[in-house]
Amino acid sequence: MPRPARTERGLPAPADAHRSTATMRVWDPLVRIFHWSLVTSFAVAWLSRHGSELLHDGAGYLAAGLVLVRVLWGTLGTPYARFSQFVRGPQTVLRYLRAILGGREARHIGHNPAGGAMALVLMAGMAATALTGWMMTTDAWFGVAWVQTVHGLIAQGMLLLVALHVGGVALACLRHRENLVAAMITGRKRKAAAGDVA
Amino acid sequence: MYRAFVITALALLISGPAMADASCSKAPSSKFQPKTTLEEKLKAEGLTVRQIKLEGGCYEVYAVDKDKKKVNTAYNAETLEKVANAEAGED
Repeated sequence: MPRPARTERGLPAPADAHRSTATMRVWDPLVRIFHWSLVTSFAVAWLSRHGSELLHDGAGYLAAGLVLVRVLWGTLGTPYARFSQFVRGPQTVLRYLRAILGGREARHIGHNPAGGAMALVLMAGMAATALTGWMMTTDAWFGVAWVQTVHGLIAQGMLLLVALHVGGVALACLRHRENLVAAMITGRKRKAAAGDVA
Repeated sequence: MYRAFVITALALLISGPAMADASCSKAPSSKFQPKTTLEEKLKAEGLTVRQIKLEGGCYEVYAVDKDKKKVNTAYNAETLEKVANAEAGED
């Protein structure tokens, strides 16, 4: 029995559609696998912080490896994966945040300036957490109080940043009427309309 | 032969608990020995102590030996007996 058509992807939207349903490819598989793998490794590391050392350290090494690959992909990857596509200066980021407060921020197909900044900060934070965590296993830094303190503080900061990130994504979903979580799974987003930044 | 077996078994039964690894203290913290006592003991063993943390009824020690290799151990805070698992106090 033939399966029903799975999707209308690529078909032109009906002329009377209020909003176009045509989608475009945005996040490549590496970006998506990186994102959800990093989510998993951070969650596992956080939950095992007082538990299995093997699990905690393993999650930390995985996170470090993921960030390293993502940084390389940020220079070599597909257009929307590249840092040059989404990393903006602090002034642009601040202007975008002010626009959010005023309810007049543009929809971006890639990361918006605030989202791009968050991605960078999260990657830097993850790298710093992994680095200080690794230091704690070395003869040179083992048991050194400030390394333990910094590791814990950055990890807690990461938790706060994750909350902000999820909040920002939720806000963007509501404002632009789109499911960004689904976009990070399928890689596809609604095509740019007038006023959007492609 | 049979007698020897029974005697050996009994001897093991009696000595068994004494040979078992120490565990963390369940006594109130007023019974605990001071960290400095443990630190002195470890220094005498040739360790350089970086940190001693009280975790439950155990002191977890972060130290390096003479070859600058890390040493992670735990001691019963009341008796200062070594505990097999360095993370014993966290459970």
